[in-house]
Amino acid sequence: MLQIEDLKVAYGTEEILHGISLTVRQGETLAIIGESGAGKTTLGLGLLRLAGDTATGSVQWQGQELLSLSDEELRDIRGRTAAMVHQNGGEVLHPLYTALDQVAEVVTVHFPVAQETAREKAAETLSRVGLAADRHGLHPHRLSGGEQQRVLLAMALVNEPALLIMDEPTSSLDPLSKAQILQVLGTALKGRANLLITHDLATAATVADRVAVMYSGRIVESGPCAEVFATPRHPYTRALLRAFPDMTTFKDIQCIPGHPERQVCGCAFHPRCSQRTEGCEASVPPLTLLQEGRLVACHRGGIVPMLEVVGLQKKLEGRTIIEDISLTLQEGETMALVGESGSGKTTLAKTLMGLWPADGGTFRIDGKDDWQRKHFYERIQLVFQNPKEAFSHRLSVGEIVREPLDIHNRGTKAEREEKVRRTLIDVDLPVTEDFLRRYPHQLSGGEAQRVAIARALILDPKLLIADEITASLDAGVQARVVRLLMRLQDVRGLALLFITHDIALARKISDCAIVLKDGRIVEAGLSSKVFSNPVHPYTRQLVEAAPQLHRG
Amino acid sequence: MHIQYGKKLKSGPGHWGLLLLGFWAAIALAGFFVTPYAPDAYTGKAFLAPSSAHWLGTNDVGQDIFSQLMAGARTSLGVAVGASIASAFLGALLGAGGALVGGWVERLTMRMMDIGLVIPPILAAMLAAAYLQPSPVTLVGILAFFFWPGTGRILRAQTLLLRESGPVTAARTFGAGRGYLLRRHILPDLAPVLSAAMIHDARRAVFLEAGLAFLGISDPTVQSWGRMIQQALAFTYLDVWQWWLLPPGIAVTTLVLAFALIGTGLEETHASD
Repeated sequence: MLQIEDLKVAYGTEEILHGISLTVRQGETLAIIGESGAGKTTLGLGLLRLAGDTATGSVQWQGQELLSLSDEELRDIRGRTAAMVHQNGGEVLHPLYTALDQVAEVVTVHFPVAQETAREKAAETLSRVGLAADRHGLHPHRLSGGEQQRVLLAMALVNEPALLIMDEPTSSLDPLSKAQILQVLGTALKGRANLLITHDLATAATVADRVAVMYSGRIVESGPCAEVFATPRHPYTRALLRAFPDMTTFKDIQCIPGHPERQVCGCAFHPRCSQRTEGCEASVPPLTLLQEGRLVACHRGGIVPMLEVVGLQKKLEGRTIIEDISLTLQEGETMALVGESGSGKTTLAKTLMGLWPADGGTFRIDGKDDWQRKHFYERIQLVFQNPKEAFSHRLSVGEIVREPLDIHNRGTKAEREEKVRRTLIDVDLPVTEDFLRRYPHQLSGGEAQRVAIARALILDPKLLIADEITASLDAGVQARVVRLLMRLQDVRGLALLFITHDIALARKISDCAIVLKDGRIVEAGLSSKVFSNPVHPYTRQLVEAAPQLHRG
Repeated sequence: MHIQYGKKLKSGPGHWGLLLLGFWAAIALAGFFVTPYAPDAYTGKAFLAPSSAHWLGTNDVGQDIFSQLMAGARTSLGVAVGASIASAFLGALLGAGGALVGGWVERLTMRMMDIGLVIPPILAAMLAAAYLQPSPVTLVGILAFFFWPGTGRILRAQTLLLRESGPVTAARTFGAGRGYLLRRHILPDLAPVLSAAMIHDARRAVFLEAGLAFLGISDPTVQSWGRMIQQALAFTYLDVWQWWLLPPGIAVTTLVLAFALIGTGLEETHASD
């Protein structure tokens, strides 16, 4: 068992790892994921004291404290009981020796065996990792990237180490070589304690049992691989997952806003985090237990739920329109609410907006259900299906967008006008005097909808309910409006409740989905599951009726 | 649609209505400052035919008829403006306000309007004016009391529509309170309906003021076209009816017509929304 306690590694005065604590049990694979520069490689190398000028803390391995061993003792361990697979095989392999010789060398360094025995063992290991026998005698430059990586793997495995540290073993490989290496790893990792360092989430998902997410030299989240990938709890983990192209999700990849910065006060991720509060700057959040096996380092306890609805019911004129609606929408996520006309979608929107009182059940916005009116509407906003109907014919574009600020009496007149301008720029609208003075009937459909979005966003809400906002737009304008919302979600962490009857559109933009029929939820879950494997017959019907351009 | 009312009233019936109203308003305004003679003063001989000294001659007691006509215009328009403003105020407060507040307040104001609407205004006004001290101010009060339920009812219906309209719903989702909704959205959007109701009330006020004065239910010290007609009727066997009876009759008719034309003009404006 490998036990790392508060490991700190520094190059000169610059500390790269700020106290890492991890445990890897025998027979278990732990993946360390994160962006470049997070300190992953330093961690991998640091365990065997191959990196950094100073390392403090504790690395316990088979009852030994690796950090206090002499260089002699460490050399004995390296390559024998603890082996490392480096990235970039071409750079690590010696150009003058054949693959077989290099693998055999690892054996002879540690064991007093005959050259022949070592070569036999090397050949056997090379075959085991899938390098054809006729290529064992080749020099590295004659081998392909995949083959070089196999040689590196064989070098690490030949002495049957109990601890295997792999630094990006598959990152530079083409998909087929990668798949083969992963297959080899599947059996090679059995029985050992394995540390897999990678930015390739798919590799981690394939071979790791547990995963630890690293950011700026700290672990921000850890837990069982499948759970972390299905329901990330740290905003950074979610951002990593969203940036990763995955065959099973339909939503577009999203970039993580900002850049990793060194020397950040408090939580290192807070400058890039959309749910930061004042406290995030003040101190570094400790890694705390969230639930069995799940740890997260976040001042807000992980991604916060923006909207929690429990058993909501609404009757109109004695008829039950929606019943027993329960859902949770997280900060920065899009929930698609689909269903045909009359399924209660708009009723739900209006009830959540406080336009109609609920007849049963409760809902909480940003963790509270007793907001004062004005504070409530600073958090939740609604964009209507038909924007022109929601504009007063007496008001110009400038006045329409400014209205929420007027109601909240925010800032001076000049500040309000500046804010109107900035918000209009945010939604890709011109800010010329001519445009600000236009009246609603002088706007095109797409312009009007963007004015409506600007008006809804001007109070900087955290939750936006979009009620069929693109239903009356052509596909080109719709794409523009939807891309705009996705961009705002990236930057502001906007939670979106996207009400639509367009399954194809819902699939493109949502993280999770809810299917409503006759005022009840008939199916709910991750969009990738709901739309590709619909369970309820009604959902299946909807998916089959979804628009398609190609027949058959 | 963004409507510019001024522009719309520049042509068609509304235009003619405005011209007529302007004519009578000018005469009434002039009447405040200068009349050829004091309307109730004895100016010389009775039953004089029109001349340069007396444009419309004199009546049976030698009073100048043109001066009386000017003073009458003053009364007529004063009552019309007063009654329509008071009625609009009550109607907006109780009709629109009731609809906006809802609940028992709305039910109470509705019953009040129902009661107001079933009382025939002329009869009631006659009775009320007979028991109260007849004066133009009392008359404005009585007329407003009987006019507001009509105005209130229209405003209530319109407010109910507006309350559910897009802009009002949107403003509510920004956290706007009732005061803001009334001030910024409902009242401005009620303006077209309210102005039509006011024109309608003004027209009825002119007619009723003249009618009540004709029946003798008015302050005898205040000049009125109605009383001029009533007095002139006693002397129809003489030629004086041409310059005593006809002018106030035409005056009442054209002023009522002016309001009616403006009303029609405004209606056309709305129809083209």
